[in-house]
Amino acid sequence: MLEVHLDSWLREFGPPTHMKIGADSVEHLLDQLETRYPRLRFKIRDETGHLRRYVRVFVDGEDVSGTTGVETPLKGGQAIDILHSIAGG
Amino acid sequence: MAPKNTVRILVGTRKGSYIVEGDSKRKSWKVGPAGHEGTDVYHMVADPRHPGDFYAAVNSWMWGPLVYRSTNYGKKWSEIGTPLMASTKTRPPRFDGNPDTPAPVYPVGNLWHIEPGLPSEPNTLYLGADPHLLFRSTDRGSTWDPIDAINKHPGRKNWAPGAGGACLHTILIDPRDPRRLYIGLSAVGTFRSEDGGKSWKPTNKGVEAPFLPNKFPETGQCVHDVVADSANPDTFYRQDHGGMYVSHDRMEKWVRIGKPLGDDFGFTVASPRASPGKAYFVRLDGMARVTGEGHLQVHEWNDKTRKWRKLLSPTAFPGHFGVQREGMVADDLDPAGIYVGTTTGQLFVSPDAGKSWNKVPFQFPAIHSVSVATTRSGK
Repeated sequence: MLEVHLDSWLREFGPPTHMKIGADSVEHLLDQLETRYPRLRFKIRDETGHLRRYVRVFVDGEDVSGTTGVETPLKGGQAIDILHSIAGG
Repeated sequence: MAPKNTVRILVGTRKGSYIVEGDSKRKSWKVGPAGHEGTDVYHMVADPRHPGDFYAAVNSWMWGPLVYRSTNYGKKWSEIGTPLMASTKTRPPRFDGNPDTPAPVYPVGNLWHIEPGLPSEPNTLYLGADPHLLFRSTDRGSTWDPIDAINKHPGRKNWAPGAGGACLHTILIDPRDPRRLYIGLSAVGTFRSEDGGKSWKPTNKGVEAPFLPNKFPETGQCVHDVVADSANPDTFYRQDHGGMYVSHDRMEKWVRIGKPLGDDFGFTVASPRASPGKAYFVRLDGMARVTGEGHLQVHEWNDKTRKWRKLLSPTAFPGHFGVQREGMVADDLDPAGIYVGTTTGQLFVSPDAGKSWNKVPFQFPAIHSVSVATTRSGK
């Protein structure tokens, strides 16, 4: 199982900030999140499947958003953080 | 004696939405429910077919484009439908498990305008989005159908965005025939459909594109805003990058009317129901993109006399104000109310078709849009 931590700003779309989920990739993880919490659809990634510009996904503390992205493989015991980046104004 | 009404100004800003309530006098205002805190709201509109229903085009910098509806005059908002797909109204094709399903090539960007349909189509809404996308809903925004004759238009390869993006920002419906539609696309121009959106004809004849080598192309003009005359649905007033124009023949040809003003740049135009044959423009400096000569300027065009009238003296509201394409609107009362929201957060109101002006005593965030809803008192 993965230790998943979600940005508290995502709570308005349904999910808690912490949960345990089994998944073998970031894409698989997001699929499951969106199935459990349909209002998350298109918030973390757009309709082409890419992470939105200001969403950051960390795997064991490493930002994979701009590298392997949703195709990043995952394995049990890893810590996943889905956060928003510093932006706005 | 004028009937008692509740007038609500729907203000979309850089940092959320506001409902501003007043009465028929339109001189004192209460800033009521705020919503969508911290988020860009590009457009809000009241649905006159369903009193109390408001729609908001919300563009979250984090979570993307979102459509919201309130059914209680803006007291509470709920996200509706699904943020829009470029080519389908259902789940993204790449996730549907069928490898033969083609994936969309681009996501929907900012939402720019929501237009309720005619009373004869009580559940129809239109929505314009970036990049140059048009959608129609027949279930009050629960689902959206792409209008492919625009979204897959063969000319798209030559369509470029304007400074605000590839916005499809103007949607007009002929009140006599819901199949006759008009749209405005930044840096592309206007189009008319006679068949409910199945086919479209460019309608930019006579409009100059000063930024292109060919000054009068079929498309490529950067239309900023268009409204129909309240008494004549074949007459339109257009604020274009290239000036202020009028058309009397369903946009078949346009005549520039703004030259007597000198610089006739601007972003917004309004034509009140109680002032047929008149249009109101906020004139901006074409380079600075704020009101020229150091004060708020609203000019009235009289299409019968073909003359301009400047409504505000230089001392009324001194300053350099930016006003965006949805930044001015007129209500349906008589005399007409005119509302102007600025990019520095002032909301100016004329309760008498431009004779006098006041300012709502509230400092808003940068205003993207103003629209107005009038209902009988008590509602």
